[in-house]
Amino acid sequence: MRLGPVIRTCFRSSRSHPLRTGLLIFGIALGVAGVVAIDIARTSVSKSFELSTAALTAQATHQVLGHDFSLPQSLFVKIRTQAGIHKSAPVISRTVKAQELGDGSLTLMGIDPFSEGEFRPLGLVQGMSSEKLRQTLLEGQGVILSGSVARAHGLASGDTLTLVLGEETMPVAIGALVETGNRMTDGLILADIGLAQMLMAMKDRITRIDLILETPAQADRVRAMLGSGQVLVETGQRNQTIRGLSGSFETSLSAFSILVLFMGIFLIYNTVSFSVARRRTLTGIFRALGATQKDIFLAVIAEVLVYALVGSALGLGMGILLGKGAVQVVCATVSDMYFTLTVSQTHILAATLVKGALVGIGAALASALAPALNAAQTPPVTLMQASFFEGRMTRLIPALAVSGLVLMVGALVLFRLDRGGMGLVFSGVFMIFGGASLLAPALILALARSLDRLAGTGPGRIMAKMGIRNLRRSLSRTSVLIASLMVVISVYIGIDTMTHSFRQSLITWVDGNIGGDVHVASLDDRHPALAPGLVDRVTSLPGVAEVSAYNIHRSFSRQSGEVHVFSYVIDTSKKEWIWLDPAAGDGTGEQTARLLDQGWMVVSEIFARQNGLVPESAPQGGMTVVMDTLGGRRTFRVAGIFRDFFMGGGRAVVSRKAMKTFWGKDEITAMQVFLFPDFGNESGAIAKTMDRIRAVSDDPGRLHLRSGPGIKSSILAVFDNTFLITTALQVLTALVALTGIINSVMALILERSRELGILRACGAEPFQVRTLVLWECGAAGFMAGLLSLPLGLLLSWVLVDVVNFRAFGWTYDVRMAPATLVMALGFSTLAALGAGWIPAVKAAKIPVARALRTE
Amino acid sequence: MDILISNLDKAYDKGRRPIFSNLSARFESGKVSMVLGPSGKGKSSLLNLIAGIDTPDKGEIFLGGTPVSGMDDSARTRFRRRNIGFVFQSFNLIPVLTLMENITLVSQLDGKPSGGVQDRATALLTAVGLGDRSGEFPDRLSGGEQQRVALARALVNDPEIILADEPTGNLDSETGTEILELLCTQASDRGKTLVLVTHSQGALAHADAVFTVSERQLVAG
Repeated sequence: MRLGPVIRTCFRSSRSHPLRTGLLIFGIALGVAGVVAIDIARTSVSKSFELSTAALTAQATHQVLGHDFSLPQSLFVKIRTQAGIHKSAPVISRTVKAQELGDGSLTLMGIDPFSEGEFRPLGLVQGMSSEKLRQTLLEGQGVILSGSVARAHGLASGDTLTLVLGEETMPVAIGALVETGNRMTDGLILADIGLAQMLMAMKDRITRIDLILETPAQADRVRAMLGSGQVLVETGQRNQTIRGLSGSFETSLSAFSILVLFMGIFLIYNTVSFSVARRRTLTGIFRALGATQKDIFLAVIAEVLVYALVGSALGLGMGILLGKGAVQVVCATVSDMYFTLTVSQTHILAATLVKGALVGIGAALASALAPALNAAQTPPVTLMQASFFEGRMTRLIPALAVSGLVLMVGALVLFRLDRGGMGLVFSGVFMIFGGASLLAPALILALARSLDRLAGTGPGRIMAKMGIRNLRRSLSRTSVLIASLMVVISVYIGIDTMTHSFRQSLITWVDGNIGGDVHVASLDDRHPALAPGLVDRVTSLPGVAEVSAYNIHRSFSRQSGEVHVFSYVIDTSKKEWIWLDPAAGDGTGEQTARLLDQGWMVVSEIFARQNGLVPESAPQGGMTVVMDTLGGRRTFRVAGIFRDFFMGGGRAVVSRKAMKTFWGKDEITAMQVFLFPDFGNESGAIAKTMDRIRAVSDDPGRLHLRSGPGIKSSILAVFDNTFLITTALQVLTALVALTGIINSVMALILERSRELGILRACGAEPFQVRTLVLWECGAAGFMAGLLSLPLGLLLSWVLVDVVNFRAFGWTYDVRMAPATLVMALGFSTLAALGAGWIPAVKAAKIPVARALRTE
Repeated sequence: MDILISNLDKAYDKGRRPIFSNLSARFESGKVSMVLGPSGKGKSSLLNLIAGIDTPDKGEIFLGGTPVSGMDDSARTRFRRRNIGFVFQSFNLIPVLTLMENITLVSQLDGKPSGGVQDRATALLTAVGLGDRSGEFPDRLSGGEQQRVALARALVNDPEIILADEPTGNLDSETGTEILELLCTQASDRGKTLVLVTHSQGALAHADAVFTVSERQLVAG
């Protein structure tokens, strides 16, 4: 038989059900859109990172840095004149905001116009020669801004820009606009180094020296010039360290991408298999009339391929739109948590689009493969009997359940492999979902039996019983529907439990570490030291129970980039220990303080990870870490590793003495003020205390006072922003679920139109038929919700203990939120009911006489 | 309950395929009326119209003096389940319901208390020879047995009218005869109006009146 008539009939059959065909295409599109959107977000962050760092490091191969991110300008002169390194440039670099440019962060970069030629393409300033540019900078005519950024905010050369440094504002003039043809300079405000030093009150100091070193000998000559606490680092290595941090976040995005992909594949399989199953009789007739197995197989595949192409094209468009939104959210997260992305650009790689299209087409074809083979290989006579397939399904249930259990156990073994990379983890996630889906038919059967018994007897119950039994009767189809809904809901539970657990751990950490009622710091972060004596004066204020005063010092470490070193006068923080050296006992304040006094340090989990400190393989003699200090590199014993969510990256705590000795810092830069509970609970107590602190300060205008609750809510706001992408994923999840249910229920209703006709002929009113369909949908949703609870919790464990730990280095306990579970069950049931409404209404309106004629 | 059909028109395919034109007929209460005719001439359509499953394009159908064609769908359905029992050629039992549940389905749809209905259903199942199989599902029964259950379902609500659409069409002649006898006996014994669409000449012996569908009309005799 020629293939044409078979394919033509398949398409005609689909055309007569436009809604179902549309839903199939939409299902494929949603799967593709999710994958494309997350991939765009990931590659855009990567590109934004490249652009942001490229603007800063430009052509430099090496950088000289101070342990406290500051160097004397004289060092630059020495390197140029004594070491003879002419390709060198002093740089001042700092993240600032500008009132006129909105909330985005920019890098204020102070450069020496005479040294810059080799590093940054300043000759590209529109209508201005390099000489003229130098003049602009040297004559103090102001700063240079990207032309595209200026135009976007209605600014022109000569306008005033109000820089925001910490809490201080400073007006500067825009001297010129730069047009580089790419977006590299979008995140930069260039200034002459002298102007930058003045703005940042750095006197004769600079942030770093950029170098282009061509031989190892040159590097040696530079090293010979360096004093203690000054290091020469390779630019690539440094960028890689910073990149590693946000790379972790991007890895977790990949995990979400895998989840979306799996949901997409499941949805596509669901819709395609329903579509093929719906035409079993037609296929049987074709086979009886002489169509070969190959004809049937190719016809099914050809039809699915056409829908896959249309769905994938639609999905690519939707993915690009969704991706553009996701880029903003993800860039904001990376900027908040890891590295300030001064350039935020949507970057769409051809590879992303190809990947999305391949996922759509591949998943659709793979989904069609089993049903197509099934249809092709089954004898024509059995193709016309739905009961044949259901009988076969029932016989397969034990084998499916055993395979499912084996897959799930295999996945758990993969997660437990110490050296397993993220690839293995993702494979494990796939196996968990696959295993659960294979196990689902057996569980659905058992659940349906229980619900049937629960439904009882009596008027009004008959529709419930019929609905539940219909699920059992069409198990080969309903199990796919319920399993796909189960997967979708479990993703919702997994993500929600993960974010809830993280949020709760964060709240515990905030309360234990920065739980003071009032926080005091310097308003001018160029001069962070608080006035000597202020701690004592604040301590003696009425209502004040305790003051925790400390020094935070931003230090450079070759191993982990930026490190915040803390030293406390009194450490009131409650640390949750991940690991403790035996010498630290159970980690009480006195025990660790004693070790800190002996020159040990305690470090945060992220710091430990960055420095390769692994508690499980701690050497006999204890763990040590090498830090760059004022006196050069020094090894510190590590007394303990604590759980930490400090957003500035790794954190190390040393004694006051060690801070002074090794980093030369003695001053107090911050304090937390704890109020007596009975006073603190009074309304206005915090404001009153702030007023009193200002009153006892010599320079109240320089004090930056913040309320503890305010800090807590701003930290939680950053956290919530971080997980916006997961919220978007949950919305996508809901859409996927609804589409899947509508499509499947429509197919089932169509298949049972004769039965519905009989019911109507026997005296069932339209509302009773509607009720029957809704019972069926509700029961399917309820079962999917119920089955998704253990799967969702398992997934949350995978996300928290495996993905988050391996990607971020964070550990926290899975905290089950009963509300999430109840909501998941409710959502699943309500979503199924909601999605079943249209099919139910259609079923109720079924033309009875015509339905009775249907065979 | 008399069935009176007055000046009825019915066509399918948006009027392109007329089935009945100005058809009028009367099926008397308590009688067994047989409707004969070739395939595709509208015998099943006639039963659907009487049962209110389908609506006429023109004309009226009165069941016991009640004009059913003018009722809305829900009212027609309620009237049907309380007054009409339907027996189909393909048995049309609901596969997910047990025999007992199939028989009591109509009463349950009507919200009647289950006690009395259960007793009546048990009696009917016994009467059709399946009293000991009430908990089984239809797929375990032979065609003849399924039709017996369908007959019990049609009678359980004690309807005044029974409509049977080729009830023996899917059965062998021996079983068909048994079913036909059972149907006519049950209807006659209970004084029901039975309208029977059939090709079976054997059924003529049970008929009080015979009608033939011809030229879009129902002709007596």
